Amino acid sequence: MSGLVGAFSEAWAELRIHKTRVLLSLIGVAVAVTAITSVVGLGAIAQQATTESYERSSGRPASLFISAYNPTSGEAPDADTITEAFDTAVERYSVRWSTRSAYTQVFVQFIDGVTPVDATIVDADFGTMHRVKLAEGAWFVDSDADRLAPALIVNEVIWNRMGSPDLATHPTVTLDGPTSMTAVIVGVTPSASFETYPLMFMLTDAYSRISTPEQRANLFPQYEMWVPPEISDQLTPLIKRDIAGELGDGWQVDVNRQDYLAFSGEDPLLPLKLIVGGVAVLVLLLGALGLVNISLVTVRQRVREIGIRRSFGATAGRVFFAVMMESVVATLAAGVIGVFLAVLIVKSPMVTDFIGQGVTDLPAFPLEAAVIGLGAATLVGALAGLLPAIVAVRVKVIDAIRF
Amino acid sequence: MSLLSLSGVTRSVDLPDAPPLHILRGVDLEVSVGDHVSIVGRSGSGKSTLLNLLGLLDNPTEGEIRFDDKRISAMSGNERDRCRGRNVGFIFQQFNLLSGRTALENVMTPLLYASGQQFWRRKQLALDMLGRVGLDSRAQSMPEKLSGGEQQRVAIARALVRGPRLILADEPTGALDVETGATVMALLDEVAEASGAALITITHDVNVAALARRHYRLDQGVLAPVDVKRVLALQPGATP
Repeated sequence: MSGLVGAFSEAWAELRIHKTRVLLSLIGVAVAVTAITSVVGLGAIAQQATTESYERSSGRPASLFISAYNPTSGEAPDADTITEAFDTAVERYSVRWSTRSAYTQVFVQFIDGVTPVDATIVDADFGTMHRVKLAEGAWFVDSDADRLAPALIVNEVIWNRMGSPDLATHPTVTLDGPTSMTAVIVGVTPSASFETYPLMFMLTDAYSRISTPEQRANLFPQYEMWVPPEISDQLTPLIKRDIAGELGDGWQVDVNRQDYLAFSGEDPLLPLKLIVGGVAVLVLLLGALGLVNISLVTVRQRVREIGIRRSFGATAGRVFFAVMMESVVATLAAGVIGVFLAVLIVKSPMVTDFIGQGVTDLPAFPLEAAVIGLGAATLVGALAGLLPAIVAVRVKVIDAIRF
Repeated sequence: MSLLSLSGVTRSVDLPDAPPLHILRGVDLEVSVGDHVSIVGRSGSGKSTLLNLLGLLDNPTEGEIRFDDKRISAMSGNERDRCRGRNVGFIFQQFNLLSGRTALENVMTPLLYASGQQFWRRKQLALDMLGRVGLDSRAQSMPEKLSGGEQQRVAIARALVRGPRLILADEPTGALDVETGATVMALLDEVAEASGAALITITHDVNVAALARRHYRLDQGVLAPVDVKRVLALQPGATP
């Protein structure tokens, strides 16, 4: 016990006395740790941005898409029948998130004329399942289906064309069709700079009320469930069997995963992770080389001191451990500073906005980044201390004292 | 009781393209508890090599060294280091105080390698030791702020703080003026006697050597008893 405490005391005293040298070596290591931790932290945000981008287009893992058709004629079953079969399966397996989605065109009366607008007809769960991000207002709630004036979520192109009205004033647009209808805008989705065409979301039940039977017959909705990935393989054949049973003979039912994790056993973000990790390791190696250099020069300058300590009874093991500890204690302190700086960098609004464009669930600073930073600092300290420690142990005592 | 004994100790080094160089030849020496031995010799006579062997820092080429009747050659490196830390205190010509540390921290340093009460009470023990050499008021001074005599007193405190049974003083007055050297030697003698430690002084100064009770001369690697009083009497300016 006293040996361990003594070695720590010795290492700490060395660091205190050689402040300038320690500070110089710390700067290099702290910069390296800041770099590696920031890269890992920013990588996590970039990874989240990529993941969310995948999830917006093809749903979250595991998203099961259900389709049914007549293998002979190719025609789809009646929408009400398949919807009922889908709803039964959702209820039977207690699926928390499910939605229908279909694409159609709706004519909107603007002040300068009628414009066709691409509309996505969905259920309320779609917003969560596809991470729909809103610039203004809120996503649909189930009660929106009961509104007499259908609720709409429009993109910024439409909203700007209307003069960007305050949603608290319940702005409306007129939907042209067989019968004109007023709709209320409850939310606005952001539009990228390249996005110049108007888009909108409408609830399926609301669309059913305003559309003609012919329009509904041509809708061809997709049916989608978001289920836990670990049971998706078990659920797939069961859902297929149940829906096929509900539809009766003559219908082919397919249930497929289409989320980004469905297409390959490997993580599609692996190349990104490898590149980020490679850069981080390179940065750390450069920091370590600088530290080894400083440590070696320092030990050569301390030969006499090491000799004196040996004459007091310091064993070779103790000298080795003390020199290693100096290096590790110093780099660990540098690691703490480096991680702190990395948190400041990664969480700064400027960096977050730049790297995490469009991210709805901005991840917290990843704990693994901090652990990697501190672990790397300790490892670098141990490796950088190894060579000087070996040199220190080989010192010949009396020659060193007379050095 | 014999604390340290050397019998037939030879130390030689191999040279490339030349016969081995014999630095020490057949050295016999017995040092008992409380003994005060001086060894004089010119530069190149083998004093440093003998110091290495006496301080358990080196092994003889031939012969045997025993400490507390235990053969040094039978000890492992770590055992020898620990034995040295517990039993041997070094005092060097150039003081060799650790720079950047106060007098107190210098005296505490050997206690970092101790265990038990010596380790945990190291600050108090170091302060007490500084008090014994009259430097308690300079405990927080850096070595460069101390005079040569004060530095050597700190070095003495450091050598004695673990209560060694053998003190090895290598030219302890070599870097001091005559008056300060005499004061330091008187102090060293007094503290060593009070602690019951054996003191071996290696010096080229016959006056310093004369303070010991037994005197040896090292000449061309051969250690032999010498009558220091006779040598002193032969020195220029000596009174008959």
